[in-house]
Amino acid sequence: MIEKVQELAKKYLVNGKVKVIFGLRKKNNHIAPHIFNKVEELNDLVVSPKYPLLYTCRPDKKNIIRQIEEKYPDIKIGVIAKGCDERSLIELSKRDQIDMKNIAILGVACTREEAIECRCPRPYPNNPLIGEKVEGVFKDKSVEGLLSKSLAERLSFWQYQLSKCIKCYGCRNACPLCFCQDCAMEQEEWSKTGEIPPEIPMFHFIRFYHLADRCIECGECEKACPMDIPLLTISKQVRKDVKELFDYESGLEVKQQSPLLTTLDEMPMKEGVNDDGI
Amino acid sequence: MMTEYKNVLTVCPYCGCGCNYYLQVFDGKLVGILPCKSHVVSQGKLCIKGWNATDFVVSKDRLTKPLLKKDGKFVEISWNEALSIVSEKFKKYSLDAVSVLSSAKCTNEENYLMMKFARAVLKTNNVDHCARLCHASTVVGLGKTFGSGAMTNSIGELEDTDCIFVIGSNTTEQHPLIARYIMRAREKGAKLIVADPRLIPLTRFADYHLRQRPGTDVALLNGFMNVTLNKGLEDKEFVNKRTEGFKELKEVVKNYNPEKVEKITGIAKELIIKAAGIYAKAKSASIVYSMGITQHTTGVDNVVSCANLAMLTGNVGRPGTGVNPLRGQSNVQGACDMGALPNVYSGYQRVSDENARAKFEKAWNTKLPTKTGLTIIEMLNEAVEGKLKAMYIMGENPMLSDPDINHVKKALENLEFLVVQDMFLTETALMADIVLPAASYAEKDGTLTATDRRVQRIRKAIEPIGGSKSDWQIICELAGKMGSQEFDYSSPDEIMDEIASVTPIYGGIVFERIEDIGLQWPCPSKEHPGTPYLHKGKFSRGKGKFFGIEFKEPAELTDADYPFILTTGRTIFHYHTGTMTRRTEALNREVPTGYMEINFKDAEKLNITEGEKVSVKSRRGKIEVKVLKTGKVPEGVVFIPFHFAESPANMLTNSAFDPVAKIPELKVCAVKVEKRKNI
Amino acid sequence: MFEPKILGFCCNWCAYAGADLAGINRNQYPPNIRIIRVMCTGTIDPLYVMKAFQKGTDGVFIGGCHIGDCHYQNGNHRAKKRVAVLKKIISYLGIDPRRVRLEWVSAAEGQKFAQVITDFVAEIKELGPSPLKGSLRHDRESTRIS
Repeated sequence: MIEKVQELAKKYLVNGKVKVIFGLRKKNNHIAPHIFNKVEELNDLVVSPKYPLLYTCRPDKKNIIRQIEEKYPDIKIGVIAKGCDERSLIELSKRDQIDMKNIAILGVACTREEAIECRCPRPYPNNPLIGEKVEGVFKDKSVEGLLSKSLAERLSFWQYQLSKCIKCYGCRNACPLCFCQDCAMEQEEWSKTGEIPPEIPMFHFIRFYHLADRCIECGECEKACPMDIPLLTISKQVRKDVKELFDYESGLEVKQQSPLLTTLDEMPMKEGVNDDGI
Repeated sequence: MMTEYKNVLTVCPYCGCGCNYYLQVFDGKLVGILPCKSHVVSQGKLCIKGWNATDFVVSKDRLTKPLLKKDGKFVEISWNEALSIVSEKFKKYSLDAVSVLSSAKCTNEENYLMMKFARAVLKTNNVDHCARLCHASTVVGLGKTFGSGAMTNSIGELEDTDCIFVIGSNTTEQHPLIARYIMRAREKGAKLIVADPRLIPLTRFADYHLRQRPGTDVALLNGFMNVTLNKGLEDKEFVNKRTEGFKELKEVVKNYNPEKVEKITGIAKELIIKAAGIYAKAKSASIVYSMGITQHTTGVDNVVSCANLAMLTGNVGRPGTGVNPLRGQSNVQGACDMGALPNVYSGYQRVSDENARAKFEKAWNTKLPTKTGLTIIEMLNEAVEGKLKAMYIMGENPMLSDPDINHVKKALENLEFLVVQDMFLTETALMADIVLPAASYAEKDGTLTATDRRVQRIRKAIEPIGGSKSDWQIICELAGKMGSQEFDYSSPDEIMDEIASVTPIYGGIVFERIEDIGLQWPCPSKEHPGTPYLHKGKFSRGKGKFFGIEFKEPAELTDADYPFILTTGRTIFHYHTGTMTRRTEALNREVPTGYMEINFKDAEKLNITEGEKVSVKSRRGKIEVKVLKTGKVPEGVVFIPFHFAESPANMLTNSAFDPVAKIPELKVCAVKVEKRKNI
Repeated sequence: MFEPKILGFCCNWCAYAGADLAGINRNQYPPNIRIIRVMCTGTIDPLYVMKAFQKGTDGVFIGGCHIGDCHYQNGNHRAKKRVAVLKKIISYLGIDPRRVRLEWVSAAEGQKFAQVITDFVAEIKELGPSPLKGSLRHDRESTRIS
């Protein structure tokens, strides 16, 4: 499959459809995102194992695509996008972080094994040019485990898990959608600085809430946590709840606005969804 | 109009975990950090320091031109001028009058060149570096008992062991990615025993937390061995076949029954018995230790006791076992390996060994000095006496990291000539006559050796900032100016080839071989795959040696005038003297200034409020520091992290040192705490 | 006897005025609630609610205008949506979502205000003290987490 991807990318580059290709490069058994300018370089292009393309580079808090667009406003970028990459791009463009008109998406669908590894519910972009759309993973063991616990059990579970936190901010740094200049997690008013673990559960709640309508379930937060805290579990379930309450799924369409930014007339809320019990 | 974005794989410059990450470079500018998911230790995760390791590289404070001190002020001069002045001055001194401080933050190549420069050009063995302050006891202690003074196993093996005994190490804060493996082991069912006077993040997850009085580790470890022998839990086969000196150990240890140990350490004897039993009964058990064991006047004794305990229970030479000192700096293991020490050449070949000296004289084409050199503490003492006249300090900040800062200040002021090579104008650089601007880890190629003996590549991502140069280039140019022909290298891999040719344990290390993952030494030949754990089958010295160690009190005990024990240490958010972390926004925001941890009850007795600035005095000096009331320290003990120049903990610490390893007692001294006099 | 501590956010135009009216008309309600006046429920960041729980509050009450009556058009729309998401998240973290109550109380409904608060305090009394109260001060004791 990788040869097809390389061929497609080379075609786009040679035809001048795009000026550069943004994808993963394998060098010495290590994989990292890379900008391919020349056709020969594309021989090192890979799509797996999974590495996200859109990290927010700190301290400027702009991802690479935005930096390219700001410096070179006229060039077209071809992005070898998997499902999660495309969802990130759509969410970022909804929030004016990037401009989709300069981006050509070369969609690549993931295999079923890859979907199972990432626990991804939608392992394909909207229109994949390579690969077939396979079914995503809808039943997740860790989410079911959480929902089957009582309130008191849930509390002690999170007390244990969150007290392992070493405040590396890895979950936030790895998230493609955490780009705020003044991140609330850093502010002293919400959680006291300079101690580990940070205030439980306030510190992590900030992220869970702020990403309720933004999370695209790429799983990078959990993969970046040195202490293996199951962050994706709550974000997955909240994303399901947002779909149930507002019939909204993040990362699918650029024109769709987040429900938390709209009025009830524009995006009504489903009443009677059990929000008073467990 | 080409846009360039590349990710350069390199090693984190902070602690000894040796995590790898990519430096994101966009059109020649550093824009961020991306963790490397395929690295064997870090696996795509980093701590907060690693995530922010680009801020200080591009800080406005970076030195860009060489500086000369004229009439008490610094003036910018050219490289040519600076190196000429330095070479002229150094030609005047030799042997006992000049000394060199190498850097545990610089690459292996640079450390090798520094010690070669000192020995071949300056003709002195007075080379030392900050390992003297942290793991000198390890090098001596494990060298005595096992024959090799390095971490015996690999970091990843900690995940699959049955019992982990952490003593004197705040692993979560100091080596976060190693603590990750300890937590994973625990979740898989391993038992965790933590011995630390303070409540550290690991104690919350420990099966047994032993709060010993600071400085009583030998008694505790002897107590463990006493319980092991009484219950017959020692590994008799291992002791018989692979060790010597068991009789001597038994003679000493039989006097340390749990009642006596309780009296000395303050830990309840039931706890000692239970914890010792868990450690001894485990199939594989691992000892993890750090500064709490090494930084004492009995540092070597503490390390030897750890080794005794491991050998007694047969926990050496297998995966998931061993004695694991966690080395602090990114390249302190490498600096020791490269021989930046007064008594050894690279690979721990002794200066006093005729054959070794002959080998190096041949390799370097010059006669070498024979007298063993001075250690840092001795260098400073001789500077005060006027015997030491010149010093060349690279990448070190003794004005904040060495004990008894007033003494350090006197020593450095008394020198006739001081050259400091650093990235920033540190407290030490301010006292120099010449300051040379050096490049950071992102601006040069080379190798670093992590705590588990893994030699890894750092790679150049951006050009050196301003007029700064890589340390290896500066040393080569200086040596050339002083007339030596042996420093003609065009790139660091040539230096590594030379290192491999004279250093048996690095014999198989070549840049091509470590392009994707590093190699763990001993790696004696180009085909050898590296060594994950040591002492398999036999110890480096043949048989492991037991030593019977009696408990000795720390050098300075509390009394009526100075009733508190001061123990120093670190916090996860800052690194050592703060030259890099205090120029990073994210870290300064977390912990902006120094503090002192004091127990609630003690604070109440002294009528101190939270956040109040108090004055802390010892026999060496006094500082003012903010108070943090907490239950983390026991009553009678206070804790001050040493990162902060405005409240330097080392102003108070004792420079009394271990007689063999010459490591100072930074973990125990006596202080008094008073409210500030009304101003 | 457990006396709950409740924090109330009341919008200036409706709920706060309603609370005022309850006071004027001597409609009794329990003293367990401390009221903070905000200009609109749309300004209430759910982080305030979680912070209240972190500090040991047993319940949080949010009072605003009826839908369609908001002084700023649709601030209360936002509040309704946010509180729905907030309740879900705290339930996953182990805090009973009934500890957060969102009610629409107009300026003329003094009696209703008193009734709503009385009901809420009774409910919290039944639920018991907040599970986050006094939890895990890591510097105080060597509490072992299993």
